[in-house]
Amino acid sequence: MGMKETESTTPIDAPGAPQAGTPLPGGGTSARPEGSGGLFGSGGPTFLTTRLDWVINWSRRNSLWPMPFGTACCAIEMMASAASNYDLARFGMERMSFSPRQADVLICAGRVPYKLAPVLRRIYDQMMQPKWVISMGACASSGGIFDNYSMVQGIDTIVPVDVYIPGCPPRPEGLIYGLMMVQEKIREERLSDHTVNRAEDPLAAGHPRASAPEIEGLTGPFGNSTRQNRLSGLVRTSRISRPDDRRP
Amino acid sequence: MTDDTPFDAVAAGPRPSDAHDPELGGHPAEVPDHPSVTALRATFGDAIRAHQLHAGDENVVFVDPAALYAVLEFLQQDPDQRYDYLLDLTAVDYGAGTPIQVVYQLWSLGFHRMLRVKVELPLDALEVDSVEPLWKTADWLEREVWDLFGVTFRGHPDLRRILMPANYAEGHPLRKDFPLRGRFSRAEQTRRALALEVDDNYTVLERELGAEPQIVPAAPAGEPDDGRGSDDTMKGE
Repeated sequence: MGMKETESTTPIDAPGAPQAGTPLPGGGTSARPEGSGGLFGSGGPTFLTTRLDWVINWSRRNSLWPMPFGTACCAIEMMASAASNYDLARFGMERMSFSPRQADVLICAGRVPYKLAPVLRRIYDQMMQPKWVISMGACASSGGIFDNYSMVQGIDTIVPVDVYIPGCPPRPEGLIYGLMMVQEKIREERLSDHTVNRAEDPLAAGHPRASAPEIEGLTGPFGNSTRQNRLSGLVRTSRISRPDDRRP
Repeated sequence: MTDDTPFDAVAAGPRPSDAHDPELGGHPAEVPDHPSVTALRATFGDAIRAHQLHAGDENVVFVDPAALYAVLEFLQQDPDQRYDYLLDLTAVDYGAGTPIQVVYQLWSLGFHRMLRVKVELPLDALEVDSVEPLWKTADWLEREVWDLFGVTFRGHPDLRRILMPANYAEGHPLRKDFPLRGRFSRAEQTRRALALEVDDNYTVLERELGAEPQIVPAAPAGEPDDGRGSDDTMKGE
């Protein structure tokens, strides 16, 4: 009992006091001196000190709520990842947040046609900072086998992407690994870099993320099974170029 | 086969699948009579260009495009035909400059009878009468055919794109003469896609349908209850 009185009179965060504490993974220090035993609150002062970076990143990476943007078969694997066999909730993805306002990580699972591109961009713009994006599967990452007139050749031309998951579709283990890579990325973040990492130009909302030459570089004359390109055309009919077809 | 590329097969045009090939079990030379085709020949004469049997028992009738609406109207309204269900309306482009075929798949609920009507439209005259007055379902199906093949349907109430974005300006992508990656550069395609507001794909009426639900005013006190029930909060007014 006398030991307890001694503790309560000693400010634990004063210089010289923490050497009795237990080092925490983030470099923090437990307020519980060695030998006191029991749970927090059973004895001495019940607080701990740590780095603000570490505790904020710890809380962020362990409560990542995904915004599922599932458009194709990858979404089936995403659902399987959330179901009980694989159980994303173990990693803090406690629920799928079907509202972008409450979501932390956008999982784009499946192919994105050009008609859906403004929808994806708007959902990304609606998400709160900090936010991360996972491009799940070959189609979302590069257009996949759909190198055609209607498909976005990689969603990184639309929104910035943090983690690309290969596969067609990736297995649930792949998605979970990708989410853990996002967690690793969050672990490395520093609050001092926050304004740099999270800077967003409001004028960039609704615009392509990549520049025009960058987008052009994505689709070279390779991998096209029918050897058609933009310049080819078997029969040039006058109907194609009639003004009615070129609606504004 | 001397095809160097799959592209040459497209250039070669349609395979002679209409020819009778006994080994492949192709179309029989003798087509058994179909009651609707008999009636069509009696009524329209030369406007009925051909009658074929595809895939065993699919009766296909090729019709003069000028007589198409009259033929389909006859098939729908004649008491002995009554093709009251338009199963599908689509188009086929066999490539190499061959005419685009517009396909009408009909089903008679009363007679349990199926008939496929086709018109062949040359590429420089892609225009045919709309059958939207006969079957309301043809509204969206004809929009789809116009969107992807560029076939204009005369008399259609609202002929605009349905699958491609509203500001799509590269043509009609399911045509064989359409380049696979489209006509614009990828950067231009991306820019155009993001320049489109999502609401632009819908008409004013369609946007109203997706707006806030309207509150239906309560029935006056004098009217008897029609048994459909009503909202209690509305009764209190």
